[in-house]
Amino acid sequence: MGLDLLRGKVAVVTGAHRGIGLAILERFVQCGADVRVVNRRADPAFSERCRALEQEHGVRISECFADFEDEAQVKDAARALCAMKPAPDILVNNVGIAGSTMMFTMTKMEAVRRSFEVNLFSAIALTQALSRQMMRQKRGSIIFLSSSAAFDGGAGIDYSASKAAVIGAARRMAVELGKFGIRVNALAPGLTRTDMGAVTSQADQAQAASRAVLGRIAEPSEIADAAAFLASDLSRFVTGQVLRVDGGILR
Amino acid sequence: MPEAFRHESRKKSMTNKEKYINCFTQALEVPAEGVEKLEYQGVESWDSVGHMSLVAALEDAFGIQMDTDDIVDLSSFEKGIAIMKKYGVEI
Ligand SMILES: NC(=O)c1ccc[n+]([C@@H]2O[C@H](COP(=O)([O-])OP(=O)(O)OC[C@H]3O[C@@H](n4cnc5c(N)ncnc54)[C@H](OP(=O)(O)O)[C@@H]3O)[C@@H](O)[C@H]2O)c1
Repeated sequence: MGLDLLRGKVAVVTGAHRGIGLAILERFVQCGADVRVVNRRADPAFSERCRALEQEHGVRISECFADFEDEAQVKDAARALCAMKPAPDILVNNVGIAGSTMMFTMTKMEAVRRSFEVNLFSAIALTQALSRQMMRQKRGSIIFLSSSAAFDGGAGIDYSASKAAVIGAARRMAVELGKFGIRVNALAPGLTRTDMGAVTSQADQAQAASRAVLGRIAEPSEIADAAAFLASDLSRFVTGQVLRVDGGILR
Repeated sequence: MPEAFRHESRKKSMTNKEKYINCFTQALEVPAEGVEKLEYQGVESWDSVGHMSLVAALEDAFGIQMDTDDIVDLSSFEKGIAIMKKYGVEI
């Protein structure tokens, strides 16, 4: 990985506290980016890790907070981010919840709405605010986290549907923002070794691994590498796409 | 006085009304004459792209950050004056 791939760029990463978001934070700072994270709440251990990463890579990491179930908090965070200079070059909408594992006939609409709030609506609200800053500088790369479940319905109704909706949102934004030099893409990871991934039973994890032609599930760092590609100028002619990072689920 | 400073002081001496009109004339590339009657999509340059340039110009001129709802509501020169008031800017 070229270490200076993102040198001089500023990225906003949501849900960097753990899992894929944390791996993206780590990869981006290794590549030289300054990162502004949006986490649910403050955590001294996380802040300490950020200070160590800053030292190690000569970058700056700042934190702001929002619970993505609460639109008002997301708007406040967006306002705080918009007040920071310089404007960001990259936005990764990573926050997500797995939601219900029940049959859809047994899933409460309340749960469906909650997943859409966290996985889609909050990301749209944040992107509305930050893309306006990117429009001014006529450049930017926005990345959404979808999922292989968007294609194969491999999770509960709320998750599968909201992750499919994320793709529609990313495509529409790509259409509208292209003229401002802003690219919008989505990543669709297969099952990945994080706390969310661990919700899946051992038997289902083994089945997921066997469906991928590479014969295993993903590591968070592998999703982060794909995010670095989409964030960087290496993908400068790529927009409106869904990059599947699933080890090749072809059947 | 260096040009940049002269420009700055000229900007400072402008009234809010002048600054407001400037945002429209520059972002939408229209003459100052008749600007007060402007409405969204009333001229070719005030399309959605022109709208975002206008919002950026207003935010820069008055040092404010507009909420999405206000961006959507900014449908005319007149309406904008009421919206600016919400941000403490008297036109
Ligand atoms: N793991 C997989 O198998 C997989 C596969 C495909 C796609 N994805 C997608 O990849 C993204 C990251 O997943 P992951 O596996 O890293 O999940 P994870 O391990 O569960 O981590 C989720 C992250 O999102 C944050 N978060 C969750 N709800 C939040 C809320 N209401 N407000 C603010 N932050 C919130 C968490 O913060 P806290 O630590 O404070 O809870 C955490 O940082 C998600 O969009 C997910 O759908 C994951």
